[in-house]
Amino acid sequence: MVDFGFKLSSSNRIDLDSCDSDLFLKLKAESGTIKQCIACGSCASSCSAANFTGVNFRKTILLIERGKNEEAKELIKGCMLCGKCTLVCPRGINTREIILSINQYYKKERF
Amino acid sequence: MEGDVLIIGGGPAGMETASRISDFKRNVILVEKERELGGHILKWDRLFPDGILASDITNELKASLGNTKVILGSYLASIEKRDDYHFVAQLSSGEIIRCSSVVLATGFKLFPAQKKQEYGYGLYDRVITNEDLETRFKKSEGLGKEAPKRVGFVHCVGSRDEKICNKQCSKLCCITAVKQAIELKQLYPDAEIFCFYMDLRMYGRGYEDLYLEAQSKYGIRFIRGRVSEISQDQSGLVIVKAEDTLASRPLKITLDWVILMAGIISERENDYLTQQLSLQLGEDGFINSLDPIIKTDQTNIPGVFVTGSATGPKTLPEVLSEARSTALTVNEYLNKIKNG
Amino acid sequence: MKERIIFGYDPFVIPFTLGVIFILLYLGTGTVRILLSLKREEAINLLSSIFSVKIFKTFKDILFDVLLHIKIFKRNILLGYMHTSIAFGWFMLIFIGHIEVILYTPQRNGVIYYPVFFRYFVMETSQTLRGAFFFFLMDLFLLIVISGVALAIYKRFRSVRLGMKRTTRLKTGDKIALWSLWMIFPLRLLAESFTADISGGSFLTSTINNLLGRFAESTLYMDTIWWAYSCALALFLFALPFSRYMHIPTEILLIFLRNAGIKSTSSRDGFAESEIYSCSSCGICIDACPMSVSGNKSEYTSVYLLRKLRRRRQDSLFMAEQCLMCGKCVELCPVEIDSCRLKLLKKRENFPNKIFDYDYLGKREPVVESRANLEKKSKVLYYAGCMTHLTPQIYRSLFNIMDRAKIEYSFMDRDGSICCGRPLILSGGENAAKDLVEANSKIILSSNADILLLSCPICFKVFNENYNLKGVKVMHHSQYINLLIQEEKIKLKKGDFSVVYHDPCDLGRGSLVYTEPREVISAAAILKESSNLPNESICCGGSLASRRFTQSERDSVTLHSLEKLNVNNPQKLVTSCPLCLKSFAKLNKRETLDIAQLVENQMI
Repeated sequence: MVDFGFKLSSSNRIDLDSCDSDLFLKLKAESGTIKQCIACGSCASSCSAANFTGVNFRKTILLIERGKNEEAKELIKGCMLCGKCTLVCPRGINTREIILSINQYYKKERF
Repeated sequence: MEGDVLIIGGGPAGMETASRISDFKRNVILVEKERELGGHILKWDRLFPDGILASDITNELKASLGNTKVILGSYLASIEKRDDYHFVAQLSSGEIIRCSSVVLATGFKLFPAQKKQEYGYGLYDRVITNEDLETRFKKSEGLGKEAPKRVGFVHCVGSRDEKICNKQCSKLCCITAVKQAIELKQLYPDAEIFCFYMDLRMYGRGYEDLYLEAQSKYGIRFIRGRVSEISQDQSGLVIVKAEDTLASRPLKITLDWVILMAGIISERENDYLTQQLSLQLGEDGFINSLDPIIKTDQTNIPGVFVTGSATGPKTLPEVLSEARSTALTVNEYLNKIKNG
Repeated sequence: MKERIIFGYDPFVIPFTLGVIFILLYLGTGTVRILLSLKREEAINLLSSIFSVKIFKTFKDILFDVLLHIKIFKRNILLGYMHTSIAFGWFMLIFIGHIEVILYTPQRNGVIYYPVFFRYFVMETSQTLRGAFFFFLMDLFLLIVISGVALAIYKRFRSVRLGMKRTTRLKTGDKIALWSLWMIFPLRLLAESFTADISGGSFLTSTINNLLGRFAESTLYMDTIWWAYSCALALFLFALPFSRYMHIPTEILLIFLRNAGIKSTSSRDGFAESEIYSCSSCGICIDACPMSVSGNKSEYTSVYLLRKLRRRRQDSLFMAEQCLMCGKCVELCPVEIDSCRLKLLKKRENFPNKIFDYDYLGKREPVVESRANLEKKSKVLYYAGCMTHLTPQIYRSLFNIMDRAKIEYSFMDRDGSICCGRPLILSGGENAAKDLVEANSKIILSSNADILLLSCPICFKVFNENYNLKGVKVMHHSQYINLLIQEEKIKLKKGDFSVVYHDPCDLGRGSLVYTEPREVISAAAILKESSNLPNESICCGGSLASRRFTQSERDSVTLHSLEKLNVNNPQKLVTSCPLCLKSFAKLNKRETLDIAQLVENQMI
């Protein structure tokens, strides 16, 4: 096939045909509360760290569900684990467990 | 006192059931714990979607009660099923009532908003509930003489929230918030009005139109994000924090007033009644009917019926239609026990 | 007293002797290994604690904890008796055995098996004074031990009678050691009874010998029973390192190390090893643990975690992440094993340090919003912390109280906090938390405050332990309100309603603040006791330490705690922690308040 130097699917697009669902499946297997999100944003809005930097838990788990793990990881690295998000989540998502698990996943992979 | 039917609860559901059963020449007793018939809509000014006055509805319902025996300011102290077809109830006044069937029209309770501690209801003067706002409308007070610049509506207070043990959607608050927002805008045309919502559930006829009208005609702004905290600044204004989930940014806004859309929860004060009658309650605390589609007004105990919001949040037209169908079911039951 | 056997030897002593040699070698290498792993200064501390008056405390601790089990006595008299009778009784049997050898057969001094099988090798009658005295003592202690063993067997089947709802599940090693331990003393009794007519005996052994009659005359039976006794001992000694009874020798080492002020620095090795092996699996922590109320969670309690750590199992991390870190098991542990510290260390060893990144905190300039004149030195700096922002009623009440008392204060984190760092530390991120500690310290020190006032016990503990605030006094609001009352800056009227006080884990057990909140409450209302002692208060279920608890499991812990709190039917529940307040308010049917709210309501 002739290579025209561009691809139809840009990297910007979420491609559910071929996405990396390894991390999402791992998190689902733990306590599974990651599946319960209704994207209300309570976590991101109450977040102590979000006052200073771009921490956003809601978006993190959304991106992981869509297979965009690298982007997701960047959104929680400033998390102070204070636990406010766990307290306000109306769906009882175990947010701190998920954040620690994501970071531990990357610890195993990269260091 | 003796009767064919004892109806517990004098709100719209109870009143309509009473008047329709009376139409069948049955002996109906209606017990209401307050000093006046009407239930929650007594505190309401106008009703969605068309702004009909709540007092008109109450008056109409009251007028058609027929020869129903109404007992006000009294609640059931105990109730017992004697043999197959008889119930004996004792009122708080000490009076004994014997009847062949019981209809629970016990309705709902508005979520006590102070339980959602981070919203500061009861702490901050400028944080009020939907019910408080209706009371103010009824007294023609609005939000005071001084026109507010910015007002926020917080949806889902005490609904869809595991953290205060109410997981259910209250169904009515979305449209109520839109209705109240429009009313405020009519009162204060210069005010900026914001609605903080998780999902807008505009399922009924005319609701979506009202939503569109709120956006296009009244310029009410809708922000998709649940409010996480409310605090107060030194001048007494309220600061609301939420995430603007569509922009993926945390958001902060200073408002003159915040209206909390307190949700609908089950009337747990009646738990002792349901226990005495061994009725089944759902996880949400509302009474379970025999099945959710055909036998919506029957319970697991023959002779005990349930109608209106006692089985979950319902709009007024739904409540009234159900009340009429309950009247038919009760009448059929009474015929059956008399013939058999 | 004459020797019956010329060489002082019989083949039946072989199993026991091998067992003793094995266990001595095992203990010796273990002790050396632990001692070698100590850091230089720890070793110096150990030496100086041995060669100073501290040694008396060490001996006292060994006597009280290892032999007499005073702490278990305090918990339940029967349970205490069971432990004491076996430990102290056995010790006395061995001790008197040695004295007998030294006094009567000094030529056998140093022969390992001699004191234990003394009765087999000598001839004596109880007619002589020495016979009567020593034999009586030996029979008495044997009786005491056997009564303890009988209780232990009974406890296996009816543990509730000894004050324990649950006992520990046993592993194979434990079972072998347990059964052999149960066998040892009845066999010793039988063996000594068989020889009682030759070697002498007292009220027990002689009586049994008489009852046995002709059986006792058969050397075959006699030899068999002494063999069985020796084998039971050998079995126990060989099973010891693989069983929970390893705690008996290890605890002595632990007491030496602990009294030298040594603390664990790894979750498994060095000092931690002596702690792990000192666990007797008594199971007191199982009943104490709030996790036990939630179905299968009791298998994550400290006793099982220590067992996993001992075997270096990977899932010990998962278990450490379950713990609510309320500290109740440490408080009640008869051996005082700091299992919470071990859990923290385990989490710390696995924490993804490099991923968390708090560089953004460095860019922040310290800002303190003050309602007082900024130029003037503000006396009180209030830090709400993350949790109190979700319960604004606490700081609103506190501010109203301070306004009434005419106290000048500034609000450090009105616009949102930098977390105090304890939640991170509790998850194992002690290193990562340093950035947070530094950022907060900068703000606090730049404010020139005298007092740092906190509402959250979680913050309170970390500000006390991990911050160096150079003279700024850290106070919890319950302490501060108590101070205001004492200084008569505010006056309270005593209400006619009753309240029960819940001690938050990090304030009570964690920081030993028990009296001030109670004094405040007593001034404002009628204080009722809960069914738990203050230091045994049960976690509210909201703990940030557990990473694994689900919402419904938390709820069951909350309900359990509430049940104990409401046992005396108080009208209100008062606590002094935003997290406890949130957990309890969710499920308590009674009014639930913070201590500041109570005081605000009762102020005149």
